[in-house]
Amino acid sequence: MNIALTVNGRAHRLDLEPRRVLADVLREDCGLTGTHLGCEHGVCGACTVLVDGEAVRSCLLLAVQCDGRSVRTVEGLAGPDGEPHPLQRAFSAEHALQCGFCTPGFLMLAAGALESDPTIAADPERLRELLTSNLCRCTGYEPIRRAIQRALLQDTRKPPERSQTGSTAAIRPASPDQL
Amino acid sequence: MWHGWTRREDERLLTGRGRYVADIVVPKCLDAAFVRSAVAHGRLREVDCAPARRVPGVIGAWSAADLPDLPAVPRAALTDLSTPQAVAGREWPSLATDRVRYAGEAVAVVIGADRYRAEDGAAEVGVRIDPLPPAVSTVEALDGSVTLFDGRDNVALEGSAGAPIDEAVWREAAVVVEARYRQQLLLPSPMECRAFLAVPEGGRLTIWCSHQAPHRLRDELARVLGLAAERIRVVVPDSGGAFGSKSATFPEYVTAAFLAVKLGRPIRWIEDRAESLVAATRGRGQDQRVRLAADADGRLLAFELNIDADVGAYPQLGAGLPMLTASMATGAYTTPLVHATVRSVLTTTTPTYPYRGAGRPEATYAVERSMDLLAHRLRMDPAELRRRNLIPPERFPYETPTGRRYDSGNYSAALDLALKTLDYGRWRAEQAQRRAEPGAAPLGIGLSCYVERSGGEAAGLHEFAGLEACPDGTVIARCGTASSGQSHETTFCSLVAGPLGLEESRVRLIEGDTGEVAEGVGSFASRSAQLGGAALRQAATVLIGRARERAARLWGLPPGEVTWSGGTLRSGAGEPVELTLGDLVKATGPLRVDERIRAHTAFPFGAHAAVVQVDPDLGTVRVLRLVAVDDYGVVVNPMVVAGQTRGSVAQGIGQALYEGVPYGEDGVPLLRDGLLDYLLPTISEMPPLDMAETITPNPSTRLGAKGAGEAGCIGMPPAIVNAVADALEVTDPGLLRMPLTPDVVWQAAHAGEGR
Repeated sequence: MNIALTVNGRAHRLDLEPRRVLADVLREDCGLTGTHLGCEHGVCGACTVLVDGEAVRSCLLLAVQCDGRSVRTVEGLAGPDGEPHPLQRAFSAEHALQCGFCTPGFLMLAAGALESDPTIAADPERLRELLTSNLCRCTGYEPIRRAIQRALLQDTRKPPERSQTGSTAAIRPASPDQL
Repeated sequence: MWHGWTRREDERLLTGRGRYVADIVVPKCLDAAFVRSAVAHGRLREVDCAPARRVPGVIGAWSAADLPDLPAVPRAALTDLSTPQAVAGREWPSLATDRVRYAGEAVAVVIGADRYRAEDGAAEVGVRIDPLPPAVSTVEALDGSVTLFDGRDNVALEGSAGAPIDEAVWREAAVVVEARYRQQLLLPSPMECRAFLAVPEGGRLTIWCSHQAPHRLRDELARVLGLAAERIRVVVPDSGGAFGSKSATFPEYVTAAFLAVKLGRPIRWIEDRAESLVAATRGRGQDQRVRLAADADGRLLAFELNIDADVGAYPQLGAGLPMLTASMATGAYTTPLVHATVRSVLTTTTPTYPYRGAGRPEATYAVERSMDLLAHRLRMDPAELRRRNLIPPERFPYETPTGRRYDSGNYSAALDLALKTLDYGRWRAEQAQRRAEPGAAPLGIGLSCYVERSGGEAAGLHEFAGLEACPDGTVIARCGTASSGQSHETTFCSLVAGPLGLEESRVRLIEGDTGEVAEGVGSFASRSAQLGGAALRQAATVLIGRARERAARLWGLPPGEVTWSGGTLRSGAGEPVELTLGDLVKATGPLRVDERIRAHTAFPFGAHAAVVQVDPDLGTVRVLRLVAVDDYGVVVNPMVVAGQTRGSVAQGIGQALYEGVPYGEDGVPLLRDGLLDYLLPTISEMPPLDMAETITPNPSTRLGAKGAGEAGCIGMPPAIVNAVADALEVTDPGLLRMPLTPDVVWQAAHAGEGR
C-alpha cells in the first residue's frame, strides 16, 4: 500500500505492507530509531510520538492509518538550528533519564501535552495523571516530573521550587500536620 | 551547538541519537523468532518446522533435533555463584530436546528476512507436548511427586552459613519469634528487553548485545561455539537498563550466534515484551522459615534462617544466589549465633537469576520483618530494639557468624538520621491519636536497617582500567565495566580528569567493547564505581608518575624535581621548563598505563523508613512517606547516586506492593495481558521520598566508594511491609505476603473475624 507520511516536516512516500505498525516504519523505513519499542502492547509508552500533534502509541497504530498525516518524533524536537527543546534541556538538568530508553516517549508525551495546554505542568494532579501513561524503570519518575515543570519555566538555570520532599507533598502529606 | 548537557550521555539519548542494539543497521541482517512451550512441563514429542520453512521470507526453521551440534547454555564463568555440582546432569539446552521444563522454554527457532516473516514462520511450527504435572512452588517440588531431571533430585544444591544453633538456646530464651516469609518471583523488566546481534565476518564474530559483562559473554560464547576468544568481539552499545538481568549467556544468544556462524549471515534477536514476560529470567523466589531469640531486654541471642529457594527449571546462576542470602543473614546486628541453610530447589518455572539486590533483599527482609515481630512481642519500640542490637562503630571490621567481614560502618548513625528525617516521634504520636479515635484510618510506621554486600565475591573482586595519553592532549580511559544507564561516561571521565587536572571534556571513556578493552569483569553487584572507578583513579596516579619520570629523563633531572599540575609537567629546579601531557607524548612516544585493581568486598548500609495508611475496607495501602538514609562510602557523583537510590526505591515499592508472577493450576504464568497483569509502578505509585546520607569510606580502596544502586530494593520492601503490619497490628506474619495487593491486605485486616 502506498502512503504519504510527513515525519518531522519531511515528506515520505512509502510502499508498505498494511500490517506494519507505525513504530517499525519510523524506525526501519524512515531510519528514525529514536522511537523505541518497550512493550508492543500499548502499556509502557516508550514508543509515544505525536500524530497531528496528539500523543499516540506508535506500536498500536498501523502506519497506513497515518496516510496523509504528520508525525513528530524525538528527532524532530530540537529547533531547526539544532537548539535543544526546553524539555530536552530540562530532562538533562534534572537527571530525568538514566538508560534513556523510555526517554523519547516521555519527551513526546510531555511535548504534546505542553503544546496543547501549558497549564498542565502547573497542576500537580493533571501532570501526575499524564505521566502515569508511561513507564520508566530507572528514575523513579520524580526527576521527570520536575523536568517538565522546569521546561515550562523555559529556564534551565533556575530549578523549580522544590520542598524537601518534592512538590508531590501537595498531593501526599509529608508530616502529620498535613494530613 | 548547545553545551549545557549535564551528563555526557544526555545529548544523544535526548535527541534520538542513542544507539541501542535494535537500532544498529547491518546489511542483510536476519531476524530470529522463537517458538516457545505453552505448557509448563511435558515430554516434547514432536516439533514440525516444515510448515514454517514454506512461509515466504522465512530463511530457515530448526528444532533441537534439526541442530544436533547446537551447544547448550554454558555454565557461567563466574566461579563463586555457579556451582558445578548443581549444574552437572541438569544441562540447559538452548532449544528443548525431549522435555520442556517451563512455559516459555524455546522449542524451535525461525529465521526470517525480518521479524514479521520470522514470526509468520514461528506461528506455523507444529509442536506436540505430552503434559507432565507442573511444580511451580518449592513445596510442590519437594514433595517428590514431580522430578524435573530423571534420576536426579529436585534439590540442586544445599549449603549453609554459620554454625547450627543448640536447641537449648531456643528453649531458654526469654522470647522467640518464628515466621515464614515468601520472596515472590519478580520480573526485572528493563525497558529494553534483551537484544542480541551476531555478525560473522571472515572467521570472526562480532556480537552486539545489551549486556552487563561483555568479557564473560565473549568467553562463554567462545567456549560453546568452539572459537578462540580473540575471534569474538562483544560490543555493548547504549543499553536500555539491565538490573542484573542481562549478565548471563542465555539460550537465545547461543542459538542466534550458532546460526549466524552456520549460515554466515548476520542474525539478530530482539526480544519483545511478550517473550520477556515468560522467558526472561526472574529474580528472588525464596520460601523462608526463621526463628529469632532474644532476652527479656531485647538483646538478640540467635537467628536461624532456612531457605528453600525456587531456582526455576535449570540450575545456573540462580542456584548459588541463595547462598548470598545465607551469608548476609546476620544483618546489621551483633546477634552472636546465626545459622542459615539453603536448599536450591528446581521448579517448572523460568530460571531464577540475579535481579537488583540479588540475594540481599531476601536476607534483609527475613531479618527486618523478624525484628518488628520481636519488637511487637516485647512491646518495645522497633527503633529502640534495633538500636540496642546494631553493630557499634568501634567493632569494625566485624566478623559475622555467617562468615562475612563487614568492612566499615556506623549503623546507628544511619538509623538516627532516618528517624530524625522522618520526624519519627510525631508520626508515632499521630498513630497513637488515630488508634484512640474510632473509625480513623490505620496508620503504620515501618523501619528497616540494612547492610548489603557490594563488589561481588572473591573471584570477581578485581577490575581493569587503562589510560592512554594522546598527542592532542586528550586522554582515553578504558574500563572493564559496562554501563546500562549508570552514567559511566560522566562519572568515570570525571574520576580521571580530577587527579590529572584536565578538563573533563579532554577525557574519553571506552568501555563495553572487548575489542578495545583488554579485560574486564563487568557491571553488576554495584561494583562499577567501587572497583572500576577505583581502578581508573589508580591508573591516573600511575600515569602522572610515568609522565613525570619521562619528563625527568627528557630534561636530565631526578623525577622528584618534576611537578605535575593541571595537565602540565614543570621542572622544579634550574631553568624553568614546562611541557603539556600531549607534548610529552609527541616528544617521547605513546604513553599508556594498564592497571588492575584488587579490593575487598564492601558493605554499604543504611536505614529506611515508611509511613503508610491502610484502608481496611478496600485493602489499599497508601504510602504517605518514605525515608532512605544510605551510606555508600565516598560518593563520586551525588546526582547519579541519588538517581540510583530513587530508582531502586521505586523497584522496592514494586516488590512490596505490586509485582509478582502468579501461576495458574497448569503451571503457566497468569500474565496473558502482559504489563497490564504484571504491575510495574508508575508515577502515581511514587510517594514522597526523602533521601539522606551518611558517609563511611570503603577502607579497601583509595577512592573509598562502596556500591550504590541496589539499596532501595534491599531496604525498602521490609520497611513498607513492617509499616502495613504496624498499621493493622498484624501479629501473624503469614498474613502479609508480598506483594501486598488489596486482596492480601483486606484478608489481613479482617483475619480473626471468624468469617
